[in-house]
Amino acid sequence: MLFAWLMLAGFIFLFAPQSLTNRFQFAFIRVFRWPLSVGRNISLLARTRQPSTDVVSRREFNKLQNLLADVIQQRDQKHEELEKLSGLRKRFPLEGANLLSAGVITAAVDKLRSELIINRGQKDGLAKDQFVLADNSVIGTMSDVNSRTARVRLFTDSASNIAVKIGKLNIERIMRGSGGNLAKVEMIKQKVRIGTEIMASKKPGFLDTPIIAGRVVRCERNAESPLLWDITVRPVCDTERLNDVTVIVMNP
Amino acid sequence: MRWFRFAVLVSLVAVLQASLLADLNIKPDLLLILLVFFAIYCNVSKAIITSFTIGFVADVIMVGSAMGPQMISFGLFGTALAYLHRVITIRKMPYQALLIFVTGFLAGLLAHFLGFLKGEPTTPNIYAVLLGTSLYSSLVGPFLFLPSAWWMRIRTDRLGRR
Repeated sequence: MLFAWLMLAGFIFLFAPQSLTNRFQFAFIRVFRWPLSVGRNISLLARTRQPSTDVVSRREFNKLQNLLADVIQQRDQKHEELEKLSGLRKRFPLEGANLLSAGVITAAVDKLRSELIINRGQKDGLAKDQFVLADNSVIGTMSDVNSRTARVRLFTDSASNIAVKIGKLNIERIMRGSGGNLAKVEMIKQKVRIGTEIMASKKPGFLDTPIIAGRVVRCERNAESPLLWDITVRPVCDTERLNDVTVIVMNP
Repeated sequence: MRWFRFAVLVSLVAVLQASLLADLNIKPDLLLILLVFFAIYCNVSKAIITSFTIGFVADVIMVGSAMGPQMISFGLFGTALAYLHRVITIRKMPYQALLIFVTGFLAGLLAHFLGFLKGEPTTPNIYAVLLGTSLYSSLVGPFLFLPSAWWMRIRTDRLGRR
């Protein structure tokens, strides 16, 4: 009898709307926020290597490389606009955006899921689908927003798909997460060089300039159509070691 | 059964699983280890309650995922283990490890299937992930039984057929 009741409770949870059941999960995060943060910091500390004194750290190097890629992209965009010379005054990219900093409470980056829980929510102006940056690169979008906490779905999560622009090819495709800190862009007509930058495309109301998201690590022929290519993308930011992220709140 | 100690132990393990172990690619499932521990050292009714509770906690710590799959699969396999324990007493570490491995793999498969029914995204290499997690849990699990038994004030040396 006890088993039957508990099983029934399990099925009620399973078929209840996720917006309702998520409250339990966010409540857990709220209640155990402090120990979760401490645990994560210990985990990060244990995996941080001591940088050598005469070179800049890999993270700093990547951060600057990402900034460079973003600036080059913005410069190219400005060039295009100048060429058009519409005569209208245009805003600089992200000029009207509020860049909101948020701390990472906990993260799950493995083969099944790629998500972060951050300590900002609706009360701070966050909303679903807003872009999230780290180390000057796009890492994902907001997928669930609670009053004080929110969930970031990284673009490597298997449920994620975002529009991207591939390097200087100027073609737009949908990039799908494939877990294990990787994402895929399928069915491209031409071969793409390893290391090519993948930029998150502009999205009205959410992102007004392309921003780097990852780099191509593999390019192989599509299994079904050998004339087409599939590329594998790795984030340019080390998403497993993030302590804080920035959320783009457009036109606050 | 000391329920307050049980709540503290499960909370501690949940926090460890969701923070310290969350970022690791290869990680044991501490809640699965607890599930097997309580299923083989408690009587049937207590094993049922602890199995469903641990399953519920496993759902709660996976923020953003559907709730219910882990609760159902942990509950089902925890109960099955408790009934199995009435017939066979599992005391040797290799057998305990084997039990954790099999339970982890089957419970993971069922949870994945239930998640799929709910519309959760599927992972292409799910079998590799499940095998890896079950294997690591089975390697670590039997060694965690002793501190768990000490904390819960459960004697592990007595014959447990109930």
